Amino acid sequence: MKLAFVVQRYGADIAGGSEGHCRELAERLSTRHAITVLTTCATDYVTWENASPAGQSIENGVKVLRFPVAHPRRMQIFADISDEVFDSQAPHERQVEWFRENGPATPELLEHLKAHGHEFDLVLFWTFRYYQSYFGLPLVAKRAILVPTAEEDSAIDLDALGEFFDKPAGYLFMTPEERDLVSRRALHPLRASAVVGIGLEPVPVGDTPRAPIDRLNIPSRYLLYLGRVDRNKGCDVLLDSFQDYAATRADVTLVLAGPAKMQIPEHPQIRALGYVSDEVRLALLAHATALVVPSPYESLSIVLLEAWNYGVPALVNGRCKVLAGQVQRANGGLYYMFPSEFSEATDYLLTQHVERDALGRQGREYIEREYRWATVLARVEDLMQQVHASCERTN
Amino acid sequence: MLASAIALGDNPIVPVHVEMAKLRDRVREQLRERIVSGCDVHAFEDPEIFDEVEALLHAAASTSDDGGLILPELLGTPDEWRLTTSMRYQSHRTRGPAALFAFVKRNILMPAFRWLFEYSRDNFERQRRMNLVLFACVQELAVETAQLRRDVRRLSPPAADTDRSGSLQRPPTEP
Repeated sequence: MKLAFVVQRYGADIAGGSEGHCRELAERLSTRHAITVLTTCATDYVTWENASPAGQSIENGVKVLRFPVAHPRRMQIFADISDEVFDSQAPHERQVEWFRENGPATPELLEHLKAHGHEFDLVLFWTFRYYQSYFGLPLVAKRAILVPTAEEDSAIDLDALGEFFDKPAGYLFMTPEERDLVSRRALHPLRASAVVGIGLEPVPVGDTPRAPIDRLNIPSRYLLYLGRVDRNKGCDVLLDSFQDYAATRADVTLVLAGPAKMQIPEHPQIRALGYVSDEVRLALLAHATALVVPSPYESLSIVLLEAWNYGVPALVNGRCKVLAGQVQRANGGLYYMFPSEFSEATDYLLTQHVERDALGRQGREYIEREYRWATVLARVEDLMQQVHASCERTN
Repeated sequence: MLASAIALGDNPIVPVHVEMAKLRDRVREQLRERIVSGCDVHAFEDPEIFDEVEALLHAAASTSDDGGLILPELLGTPDEWRLTTSMRYQSHRTRGPAALFAFVKRNILMPAFRWLFEYSRDNFERQRRMNLVLFACVQELAVETAQLRRDVRRLSPPAADTDRSGSLQRPPTEP
């Protein structure tokens, strides 16, 4: 098939989850389909400043067309309109304006879709919240597949999304919880959809050397948080809960690996490593007692899947339906709603060694069943065939 | 032998829902003991009473949206009671000066005081969440009360009189 993949940023050096998902699928499917990625020249998801050259390139065998962003994100206007639409029942046109200000504003990409969208068998759009999806998808709705990467944050409640979520001919979801969330927001029952997630390569469990983290004096028992250390990721609550717990146990450390976007308290049992190399990252994952995921909003936690890939159990924020759902389906860890549950669950994972190992192993078995690339790609292919057949019938 | 695991050769299966139920039981019991011993709340000396109260409040605290709540509907238009956390750039002045004042507010005052605005907004957001939880608590209690009234009516002998609100009349007092 001839496919277009539309995404806000693209490239091997782009760290975002939805962008990574798009690139992984594009590279893996490009052996079977003619794929063109339609994206922007932006690399920074905050400013959307043009950074990559506009025009065509071939990246890892995938054709990429980049379009310039008409203007960087207007921070003041965006902050004001976000306050307005998330606080109250803002009128429809103001909500639509929010998507315009959210950017990345790429009218040339929309023009390209208008002129050439019909030349593709299917057009896949990543992430509902950005300009290129919100305004681009309706232009090719009959052949569009949406990969919403929706979370239970404020944006999902915008009334303007009801109509938008009705438009695609198909959907690829990360989790069943995400599918349910989008189904509730759409005005009508969804058309064809599949829960696909992302694929992981098998890793040799037990073989990952500990030396990279020994050099950093990481103790043998530690909870690991991996990612941006940010209030929006629930890290403030995690740090408070952990300090309460640490007051009762001196033999556990919380290791934070990722750039800090908030103040991290000075504490003998908290180690903030900042950015870490891939080698350190993998060693941290492989040798952790448990991975902690405190985020209240997720459409899919890839780091959670990575931990299970190493047979490491997880402790997640139970208020996030996606995380709690993943842990329950995998039988791969515990979840907490309150600080007292966090302490009890942490204690369990640190002291019940056989159960801890069993939870980790069950997580790895879940990855084997659900998240190997062959399984994921087969689900994507099935859904694309189904939507394509339905498009053909309609035409 | 693992008490909680289902033994299957060398690989015991640990069901998360079972472990979570036990973990929550332990947390609940610790909380009950703390409240009973530290705060002298005698009603919670009965674990069953505590469990019922905790379950009711837990359900209310887990409410994430007001879609299933009656109180927001009864309170009338949200503009009159809902916490407003966005800044409205308005002025009572005539058109020209109003635009100037709005410009100054938006482009000079707001950037300078945005940190203060965001601090207040975060607190209002917390208050909004508390209101939602309290609405849900009130509704849970109202539902329980309505169900109990219905059960009491059903169990009462036909002669038993009730007032219009459904509550049983007090028995006559001894002279």
